[in-house]
Amino acid sequence: MSGTDLVITGLGLVLPCGDGIEAARASLASGAPCFADLPEALGLGRGAACTAFNPAGIIPPMQLRRLDRPSRFAWVAAHQAFADAGLDPKTMGERIAVTVGSLTGGSEASEAFMRPYLLRGPEGASPLVFPNCVANAASGHLALAYGLKGPSATIVDRENATFAALEQAARWLRLGLADVALVIGTDGLFPLLLDLCRGARLAARHGDPEIGSGRGLLPGEGAQAFLLEARDHAESRGIRPRAVLRGLASRSSSDDSGPGRSQALAHAVTALGEVAPERRVGGANGLSRLDRLEIHLAESHPTWPVALHPKQLWGEFGGSGGQLLAAALLESSGRTLVTAPASSGSQFAALLEEVRLDPR
Amino acid sequence: MNRVVVTGLGIVSSLALDREGTWSAMLAGKDGLGPLTRLSLPLEPAQLAGQVAMDPGRHQTLCERMALRALDEALDGLAHQGDPARIGVFQGAGTSGLPVAEAFLEERLAGRRGRASEPAYQSPSTVTDALARRVGAQGPRGTIMNACSSSLLAIGQAWERLAAGELDLAVAGGAENLCRTTYAGFSCLKAVDARKCRPFSRDRAGLNLGEGAVQLVLETLDGALARGAVIYAEVLGYGASMDAHHPTAPHPEGEGAARAMAMALRTGGLDTSGIDLVSAHGTATPANDGAECLAIRRALGTAAEAVSVTSTKSQFGHTLGAAGAFGAAAAILALRDQVVSPTLRLEEADPACNLDCTPKEAKQRRLRAALVNAFAFGGNNLSLLLQRWEGR
Repeated sequence: MSGTDLVITGLGLVLPCGDGIEAARASLASGAPCFADLPEALGLGRGAACTAFNPAGIIPPMQLRRLDRPSRFAWVAAHQAFADAGLDPKTMGERIAVTVGSLTGGSEASEAFMRPYLLRGPEGASPLVFPNCVANAASGHLALAYGLKGPSATIVDRENATFAALEQAARWLRLGLADVALVIGTDGLFPLLLDLCRGARLAARHGDPEIGSGRGLLPGEGAQAFLLEARDHAESRGIRPRAVLRGLASRSSSDDSGPGRSQALAHAVTALGEVAPERRVGGANGLSRLDRLEIHLAESHPTWPVALHPKQLWGEFGGSGGQLLAAALLESSGRTLVTAPASSGSQFAALLEEVRLDPR
Repeated sequence: MNRVVVTGLGIVSSLALDREGTWSAMLAGKDGLGPLTRLSLPLEPAQLAGQVAMDPGRHQTLCERMALRALDEALDGLAHQGDPARIGVFQGAGTSGLPVAEAFLEERLAGRRGRASEPAYQSPSTVTDALARRVGAQGPRGTIMNACSSSLLAIGQAWERLAAGELDLAVAGGAENLCRTTYAGFSCLKAVDARKCRPFSRDRAGLNLGEGAVQLVLETLDGALARGAVIYAEVLGYGASMDAHHPTAPHPEGEGAARAMAMALRTGGLDTSGIDLVSAHGTATPANDGAECLAIRRALGTAAEAVSVTSTKSQFGHTLGAAGAFGAAAAILALRDQVVSPTLRLEEADPACNLDCTPKEAKQRRLRAALVNAFAFGGNNLSLLLQRWEGR
């Protein structure tokens, strides 16, 4: 990624600790994990649910009923991000791109659609639920809600899909296909996900996720919204950025082995140039295959500050890496390095500069 | 910006398991639509689909098998000797591993334990990962899930990175397999035709579903010429837009689709008069085809009168996440051979579709450049711009 400076001017958060920036800051400050036994409707087991989520006054009740959880979270997070950036999206809809990252996109609705179909046949199939089965349902709902008419991409990938969404947004801005990009990470909990996590022995059976313990992950949910634009575009609007996206890089290994992925993450960091971070945010989630990558990176750079790993507080899936970017923006820093490992595929690293907690 | 060309093309379709077999059958007016046997859905009124003559492997989803087969054909023995970090893989997905999740859910509903594969297994990126391993890629990977426009954006992603000089070689395309969720879903939306679909026809009544895989190898023109590669076509750019109109229905006047096509022409630096072919989304749903023809007129103006339009849905059914790549494959081969594949069963055109929609028979003509359209739920529009390769 090179060329024009890109800046983040808006931030919106729906997290298990509550909605908004203040709730997230308080959560990071306390360091208390948000895991609890989940309501039965979301699945059997422990996880980090957005129990305090409040869409009142933002999503009209008629619309709310038609939305899956990821779309609801995304709608509210986007609302916050536009407000934070001082941008009325309806004034420039054709010039706003939307990119969404998710690990579970469409899956919650697919279960809600298929469960009655499998039990009752075609009469159980709901034409209201099916449109949400596509992973890009959230971007479609956002387009309708905010009048967004620019390019759109939904990337469903591993634990860092939102970094891929950020990369696509940056590319469209640089190509001049949009002036502003709304980047969203969003995931919602659903029973089948909990079932699969437990059955595949991914989920921690006892206690909370702990880096290096091999105990396993706990699932979470939520959405994060980031407004990305060129620095000169933000300045022309009189907006002071929350951060400069100095660099973003991804690498993969040709065999997806553990050492290969570890090397790929290291190469992604190297591709950013001289990073010398003042602050570190990482993507360890309690699952050995991800934790080992972060541990290896820390051992290779003993002078770096100790990394904050927000998935230990808010869970895996809850924004597919968006949580990491959010945490990076919640403390002022001259230079914050974010690493976003994944269980296969692309390994991401991002460098944020001039991070301002309260830019206004 | 680097010029970007297609140097490999692999197709696994319901007509044939290879590129030339598929293409010759298309030109001969054959379709791959037949009785639905992959899924047992006895209560569904429509029992027709574009099924591929392959089955899942013991440890491989059908998507993965089809995608790998298409990739092998596209590579045609190519073993890239350059930096593996400069090879990227970009895939569009629709259902991908959904049959795995369906089977697990069915087991659980029956009170059985089920075979719990990890969530990653049903993730569509498993196909992307498998392709990357096959080609030895260490560069970026992307899995797009924009529903029915996914694989066209995947090709666009590959183009923009090659054009920017970030990669030397990329694999892009899509794979899709039939599954109960999509079949039941489109059926309950009353969007599935119990007969063979009839794009652009006055009596069109909906789509048929299909499956298959298309993979493209793309590289910079300089790289392709240096290794003496066969060049199928040049990729000039793409456009993308959202309708912001309705969760499932297209804008009735094709407003967003026209903007996507216009953006593709702009990024590719081509005038409307240079377009000879539109490989249309053409689903045969009452809402899509009329709106798309309006969009073509909006985007191309008077030049629309001279273009040929065709829909691959009449051969393969709607292959959802792979549909854009199928449309691109048809356009690439049309540009190569200077012949437009037909829109089958187009007996009487809808007056709302009053363009040359290539009814029933292939048409030889001069083809310089083509737009490929793919539109999706959520009002998501993609248009890819391709040009015939005639030498530097």
